[in-house]
Amino acid sequence: MITQMKIRGLMFDPYNNSYIVLLRCEETQNMLPIWVGKPEASAISFALEGVPTLRPMTHDLMKLLVDSVDAKVLSANITDLKDNTYYAKVHIAYGNSFFAIDARPSDAIAFAIRTEAPIFASEDVIQKHDAEEVDRWLENLKPEDFGKYEV
Amino acid sequence: MVRLKVHGVLADPNTDTQVVVLRKEGGFEVLPIWVGGAEGHAIRLAMEGVVPPRPTSHDLLKDIAQNIGLVVTQVVVTDISNNTYYAAIYVKMNGSEHTIDARPSDAIAFALRVPCPIYATGDVMKHRAGEKLDAWLQKLDPQNSGKKYMRFNCDENPSRST
Repeated sequence: MITQMKIRGLMFDPYNNSYIVLLRCEETQNMLPIWVGKPEASAISFALEGVPTLRPMTHDLMKLLVDSVDAKVLSANITDLKDNTYYAKVHIAYGNSFFAIDARPSDAIAFAIRTEAPIFASEDVIQKHDAEEVDRWLENLKPEDFGKYEV
Repeated sequence: MVRLKVHGVLADPNTDTQVVVLRKEGGFEVLPIWVGGAEGHAIRLAMEGVVPPRPTSHDLLKDIAQNIGLVVTQVVVTDISNNTYYAAIYVKMNGSEHTIDARPSDAIAFALRVPCPIYATGDVMKHRAGEKLDAWLQKLDPQNSGKKYMRFNCDENPSRST
């Protein structure tokens, strides 16, 4: 089973010196935090905030590439969680063919925002991540951290 | 048009900037291009043939092109204006050709993974920032810069060969 996720926020995690993209399931309100690197976080935040850049950034180039041949990005899918690594697939349709391409969730999300494609997560993944740990982590967050990049 | 190969990537220890040094094939002219840290890293991974456990952004770019059957024929560094370099990626699909606007850093990181040849226009080679590379290298600690060159198997300092 898969469920559609919305981006709830993007924030800095000082404990791990990395960034967190927080996805939330609209129906169940379940949260799925995904840790991403700095360049991927800025790629996501540029797209969320609609910051225009002078030159196309890497994920803009991905969009230009699929647009050049009228291929369509259907969705970004968070498919698995193994050994603290999240796995994703980008679904693309071209002509009558359909492709599921292996990607890191950060790239899949940065690409999906730009192509206005929905983001899905498998319910297995949402259940797998240690809910307790996340709750503890969420308690440490200041309320003002939320909604900073809300869309 | 001049065909180039990637000669090395130099990290600036003081900033997040890196310099990709392109060199004319069979020649000594170099074309330095200043790129961001992430893009420099992407180029270095491809040069060293490192396959990371998960696909990087540029691996994904290549995988998308490959899956949908897009053929990447070449990338060209096309223009310099106001210290910004421009590049074009040439692709073929079902007999029709398209060019895609890109930053040279992305174009080079992509070209190394496809792989496909890298070119610069004669105009870009004429206006290349060879002098700037010299000035930049002088600012570096000499021991430091020697180490970096050795790490990328460069046999000589490209600033001397222009």
